[in-house]
Amino acid sequence: MLKPLLSVRDLRVDLNTRSGVLHAVRGISFDVAPGETLCIVGESGCGKSMTSLALMDLLPRVARRSADEITFDGQDLTRRRIAGKLRGRRMAMIFQEPMTALNPAFTIGDQMVEAYLYHVGGTRAQAVDRAAQMLEKVGIGSARSRLGQYPHQLSGGLRQRVMIAMALMTDPELLIADEPTTALDVTIQAQILRLLKDLQQELGLAIILITHDLGLVSRIADRIVVMYAGAIVEEGTAAEIFDRPAHPYTRALIDCIPQPGKTERGAPLGTIPGVVPLLIGRQDGCAFRDRCSLAQPRCADDIPTQDAGSHHWVCIHGGQA
Amino acid sequence: MLIYILKRLGLALIVALTVSVIAFALLRASGDIATALAGEGATPESIAVIRQTYGLDRPVVVQYFAWLWDVARGDFGQSFFFRTDVAGLIFGKIGNTLILGGASLAIALALSIPLGVLAAIYSGSMIDRAVTMFSLLGQALPSFFLGLALIMIFAIRLRWFPASGTDGWRNFVLPAVTLGYYITPPFMRLVRAGMIDALNTDYVRTARAKGLPARRVVFKHALRNALVPVVGLVAVQLGLLMGGSVVVESIFALDGLGYLAYQSISYRDFPVLQAVVLLLSLAYVVLTLLSDIINAWLDPRLRAA
Ligand SMILES: Nc1ncnc2c1ncn2[C@@H]1O[C@H](COP(=O)(O)OP(=O)(O)OP(=O)(O)O)[C@@H](O)[C@H]1O
Ligand code: SF4
Ligand SMILES: [Mg+2]
Repeated sequence: MLKPLLSVRDLRVDLNTRSGVLHAVRGISFDVAPGETLCIVGESGCGKSMTSLALMDLLPRVARRSADEITFDGQDLTRRRIAGKLRGRRMAMIFQEPMTALNPAFTIGDQMVEAYLYHVGGTRAQAVDRAAQMLEKVGIGSARSRLGQYPHQLSGGLRQRVMIAMALMTDPELLIADEPTTALDVTIQAQILRLLKDLQQELGLAIILITHDLGLVSRIADRIVVMYAGAIVEEGTAAEIFDRPAHPYTRALIDCIPQPGKTERGAPLGTIPGVVPLLIGRQDGCAFRDRCSLAQPRCADDIPTQDAGSHHWVCIHGGQA
Repeated sequence: MLIYILKRLGLALIVALTVSVIAFALLRASGDIATALAGEGATPESIAVIRQTYGLDRPVVVQYFAWLWDVARGDFGQSFFFRTDVAGLIFGKIGNTLILGGASLAIALALSIPLGVLAAIYSGSMIDRAVTMFSLLGQALPSFFLGLALIMIFAIRLRWFPASGTDGWRNFVLPAVTLGYYITPPFMRLVRAGMIDALNTDYVRTARAKGLPARRVVFKHALRNALVPVVGLVAVQLGLLMGGSVVVESIFALDGLGYLAYQSISYRDFPVLQAVVLLLSLAYVVLTLLSDIINAWLDPRLRAA
């Protein structure tokens, strides 16, 4: 692997809640290489958003972050001053809700140029030129006139394109996208993903794509991280994960993907039976064991990490079990 | 935007006309005007003469339009008590009340916006609690008490400002502080609540994700949206301001409309009261119109409405 662009070691996010400390992210480690797409998948509530917000230092006030290491291009992101220089410039983020992520009081153009003017500088005219150029790049026609519009005048799909264009204004090396298509309808979802893939190839952008939909990931991921209950349970290349899924949870996720031909038309979307464990307090043994068909008594003990090259998983069973 | 303004303007005009009907009815409902104008011990003959001179024998609708025409030209009739022109009476005092109101509003906004923002940023902390205490005090303290306390300290002891009268700008300082502090709490609460909401929005998170400095995130992205309801409150608070100005003008013997309103009520001087009510209502209508326009500028989504 290339020298990583982003390195994360033992990242933890704790939230103070009324019923106690909630460990939303429980010591996860991963790397992102320049220009690669890393997908983080897992069910709702497994800590994906907390992970991405922690990287951008955007956690809610009730959350506390700790990590052995978070570095971007070798620079220590846990130091406020360094993070402040990189955030919004060399690393950018887009969010799940394009309807609310833009400020209703300012025009698209105004919101697009401000980070550019702040980080890169130059004249306003230059920034406006760049904004128009970026809108065209994300497939928005008559870009100039769009710049004068307000967010409420745009559809959800268009707003997400604007968000992407805005994130790319400063020519970042890493784009974190937290469920960027979940709020959009299916045809628009496909378009946005296609767009991200194209932009990545054109700009050599690294992407962290966060989603609960493993089906979405097959088209775009280079590598996949599967999270469960705040921890990484399996990690590997897209081929490894889809061809040789080793962790029972990953296999359950894959079985949930609707298959053309196999899945009945109009059948309810597949879900894994059982519920996600509470994230408050300690977790001993495998967090998945209440829902796992292969569980054994020793799953309540410490579970070893198994390795097969770039492929890792946390389960008592070997790859072919 | 132009269509929006025209629509609001039409609405304001309808409200203003409705108000004028009510103000007109107020005077008619107060008893026989001719009798009141003639004064005590007038003969039925002289009352009849007055009734004819003032056109009070005509149908009510005709009287209303005649009155409306007079009002439109600035003629509000005669005061029962002062026996002078109501328009002249009011004109001499309205300036003082406007200065007092404007200064109080400025003080209230200058206090409540920074304090509200501060309390929102540090919500739940000691700073938040201190700010909330300070503003609760403004609400709990009767304005006559604060007014008297300020007179004791700044007029009598320190001699920085005069205790009463209407001679120059110094006369307005203590009344404006009294009145401004009195109307600060609702503004402070609204700014604080609006800022807490705004700071938790997705678009503020987006602004932070762009790496903008905290100052810009708070004052550009959050405050702009938090101020929308505040502008509406300014119009609504005019009522509170006017009510307060009756008390404050009386304490500081400031020769304004509030003091006049107080006098016209106690002397049952209905033409003056009618004119004051009409003017206050019109001021209210104009302020609401202005706040609608300012809000449409602050929040572009409203312009479509
Ligand atoms: N502000 C908060 N206060 C308390 N708990 C929170 C808060 N935000 C999130 N959580 C909890 O933290 C855990 C992780 O949440 P997170 O948002 O990271 O999940 P996610 O994987 O992004 O899920 P989704 O697919 O629903 O977005 C969840 O159990 C959630 O209930
Ligand atoms: S460790 Fe045990 S319970 Fe956990 S996934 Fe593997 S088999 Fe299932
Ligand atoms: Mg999420």
